[in-house]
Amino acid sequence: MIEVKAMMVGVVIRVDAGPGTEVAEDQPIVTLESMKMELPVPAPRPGRVREIRVQVGDVVQEGDVVALLEDEAG
Amino acid sequence: MSEWQEKLDELNTKKERYRQMGGPERVARQHAMGKLTARERLDLLLDPGSFVEIGLLAHHQSQHPDLKDKFTPADGVITGYGTIDGRRVCVAAYDFTVLGGSMGEVGEGKVARLREMALRWGVPMIWLLDSAGARIQEFTGSQFAKAGDLFREQVIMSGVVPQVAALMGHCAAGTAYIPALADFVPMVKGRSSMALGGPHLVKAAVGEDVDVNELGGSKVHCEISGCADLEVEDDEACIRAIREFLSYLPSNNREQPPVIPCDDPPDRYIDDMTSVVPTNPRKVYDMRQVIRRIVDHGHFFEIKPRWARNIVVGFARLEGRPVGIVANQPLYLGGVLDVDAADKAARFIMLCDAFNVPLLFLQDIPGFLVGTKVERQGIIRHGAKMLYAVSEATVPKVTVIVRKAYGAGYFVMCGRGYEPDLLVAWPTAEISVMGPEGATNIIYRKEIAAAEDPDKVWAERTAEFRKLIDPYIAAGYGYIDDVIDPGDTRKVVIQGFRMAATKKVQRPWKKHGVMPV
Repeated sequence: MIEVKAMMVGVVIRVDAGPGTEVAEDQPIVTLESMKMELPVPAPRPGRVREIRVQVGDVVQEGDVVALLEDEAG
Repeated sequence: MSEWQEKLDELNTKKERYRQMGGPERVARQHAMGKLTARERLDLLLDPGSFVEIGLLAHHQSQHPDLKDKFTPADGVITGYGTIDGRRVCVAAYDFTVLGGSMGEVGEGKVARLREMALRWGVPMIWLLDSAGARIQEFTGSQFAKAGDLFREQVIMSGVVPQVAALMGHCAAGTAYIPALADFVPMVKGRSSMALGGPHLVKAAVGEDVDVNELGGSKVHCEISGCADLEVEDDEACIRAIREFLSYLPSNNREQPPVIPCDDPPDRYIDDMTSVVPTNPRKVYDMRQVIRRIVDHGHFFEIKPRWARNIVVGFARLEGRPVGIVANQPLYLGGVLDVDAADKAARFIMLCDAFNVPLLFLQDIPGFLVGTKVERQGIIRHGAKMLYAVSEATVPKVTVIVRKAYGAGYFVMCGRGYEPDLLVAWPTAEISVMGPEGATNIIYRKEIAAAEDPDKVWAERTAEFRKLIDPYIAAGYGYIDDVIDPGDTRKVVIQGFRMAATKKVQRPWKKHGVMPV
């Protein structure tokens, strides 16, 4: 299981890949607004989204887990 | 039988015995671990029939009771030279089937001889590491006083011949500093590791219980520490990566990188470039899509792809000529530079410059990260490494401003002050000391605070400042060389590199600069 973490502080503006979605490496899982940009939190490796830990409107801090990803190893 | 025949039989029997490495049982164990043997690795790495072995008949000379009766063919490290794509290289492949590939006195003497040859001949040095580290029995106690020269020699070789250290097994201590000083470090996924102290030493020294992969596995070094360059699936992929890495570099710093034939037209117009990069500066994209469209046949060999992902570095070719690419990556952190990204870029720039590989910079840089966290990490000195590396680089440099070019980020990405041989911008370029919002907050702070409707004044001032950020203003002053159609990027950068091919830069004499670290 891979913990997908926010790389910086920001507000969740979109969930791009909900639970069950197969994602490729670098595919956005959720999108934050930060530094006047829409910053995706991309999948660090290919896998299937197990759980989304945030909701639209949430403020996340750097290092907060936003999603859990099952990689090939499970 | 003639006496000659007896002598030849003895020679052949002896050599055959040494070529068996640690014996069938240990070879089977090596295979069961999913690893190739040192000799199989060499067969894959080098052109068929090109390997000339040095020191096959070497073995340990220790009188230590643990070793006295042990046979160590080639003393646990297979050394020699051969060719890759017809170009000579020196190789040392540690043989895990012989006492865990441990570094013994005789074996290290062989590797030292090989390093000397690599330097003397001006050819790359490659280590295939699968070694438990120093053979403790041979370096007992204070005999250690004579050890360590290999790292000094590696430093002397640095920037003269390319050095590759591939981690193909679990390595500790001695075999962990070899990669630290090498130019390219691939690691086999899940089956390799490096650590200054292995798990047993860690337990004894600091009481921490940790598994070898958790301590220094491929994921740790390719994603967190930045000590390795590329995580590869298996031994075969590792060998392929080494061969490809060396294909971009000359054999030594006095030669030019090898050029290969290319049938991708140099003036190829890129129809879909504008579909990759959004004009809205709030939206991000994957810079690698831009890179692949510019380079020959879309092929990009990325270095450190999973570490400091907010900057992308790697090798490609333009009309068959190697080029090093340094590009901001908006997909990660909006492409902002932090301490690791600055380190990654600085080191890559130094590598390219040392070996005459021209540099292409693709800018979309909102600036350096600010705030207490990065200041405490020393963002100033890390950022300065990039200033240093890009200023020192005398290879041809071409810069393309794709979108943002803000503050010191514009400098370190080879802005006008850093002697690019060609500096062009897309119509989407935003060049400024800082963004309109930040500038407004600083310049008009008092006016806004005193205003009846601060939000309104802020919005007006921001809009006014935004008008000052326009590539045609920079082009109007002659500060940038041109504003180009993104579809022409390949053509334009190739023209730039062609013009700069004869570049010669003279710098004031010095012993060496004092680089921020």
